[in-house]
Amino acid sequence: MGNALFIVWRESAEAMLVVGILYAWLKRRSDATIGMRYLWGGVAAGIGLALALAGAMLGVASVLPESALDYFQLAMMFIAAGLIVQMVFWMRRHGRTFKKELEAGMQEKAARANWWGLLFVVALAVGRESAETVVFLYGLSAEQHGASRLLFVLPVGIALALLTFWALQQGGRILSWRAFFRVSEILLLLLAGALLISGVEKLIALGQLSPVVDQLSDSTPLLDDSGRVGGIVAALTGYRAHPALLPLVVLVAYWAIVAYALRRQRSR
Amino acid sequence: MKLRLLLIVVAVWALPALGQEMPVYKIVARDGTLAPTRLEVPAGKRFKIEVSNEGKTPIEFDSKDLKQEKVVAPGAKTSLLINPLKPGEYKFVDEFHEATAKGTVVAK
Repeated sequence: MGNALFIVWRESAEAMLVVGILYAWLKRRSDATIGMRYLWGGVAAGIGLALALAGAMLGVASVLPESALDYFQLAMMFIAAGLIVQMVFWMRRHGRTFKKELEAGMQEKAARANWWGLLFVVALAVGRESAETVVFLYGLSAEQHGASRLLFVLPVGIALALLTFWALQQGGRILSWRAFFRVSEILLLLLAGALLISGVEKLIALGQLSPVVDQLSDSTPLLDDSGRVGGIVAALTGYRAHPALLPLVVLVAYWAIVAYALRRQRSR
Repeated sequence: MKLRLLLIVVAVWALPALGQEMPVYKIVARDGTLAPTRLEVPAGKRFKIEVSNEGKTPIEFDSKDLKQEKVVAPGAKTSLLINPLKPGEYKFVDEFHEATAKGTVVAK
């Protein structure tokens, strides 16, 4: 039972991170009520996406060839990674308030485009991993005594996800605005890197890319990425106990570019 | 110039070898078990793992070592491409039944 709960929690962690941080960020400003609407719109769209994806995974819609689903998931990873990075830079630019810039005559259209970006990023974060949760729960219900287990796991799982969300909000309250924002930025950028690595690995698994050198090193004794803690770290940061060369190079390049862009933005 | 040459070399290297006959290894999942749990394969050769789910519940075949992550519906099967492996051990797991369903690919 604890196992099932852990799986549900793990699968919801990514979504909670994105939704929780954006919620805390929007909550801090008085002029972002419109943003909240896009945030919850993204959550709703994400749940729809999760159900559709779960259906496809379970073969409800087997009209699609299997590879179509693979490439769709691949696209979701890369788009989510790109949007998260874009979101971080957008949040930095609006560190204090939207109002000032709106008054300064910032184009309303550009502002709206960013809100749609927010909606998309939330929908992808919620939809991608929740699809697996839906499939998992469906499987649980098919097991012996599954229905009664589901009745326990589902509400407790949701409660755990809400608890994660709540903890993030507390973090926003306890830490100073600056500190919370710094930590959030790093967590989001780490997550984007993890998504990028998953995407590259998926391309390798689909035979589109070569890992160049497989299993470059072994840090399993330090942190095993197939263990519980290691698995979470891997999902949220792109950590691998046996990294291959190509994903590693991509991750290093990603951080180099992000670091460069951050420095440039700061100096402006 | 040197950089461009390097890029070309990497690109060619990274191109997948197409149209080769590949050995296929089968793994059967059944509601929390995977069989076999130990799969011996030759090192340095590309191959396929065919995962069929003969249980009543869906599984998620997952291996960071093999770079695979795939949900397989009950009654369905999927074919996974595995790039040439160095000699060594590569863990895999059914994430939806991770307490019981684990195994290792051994490349020799």
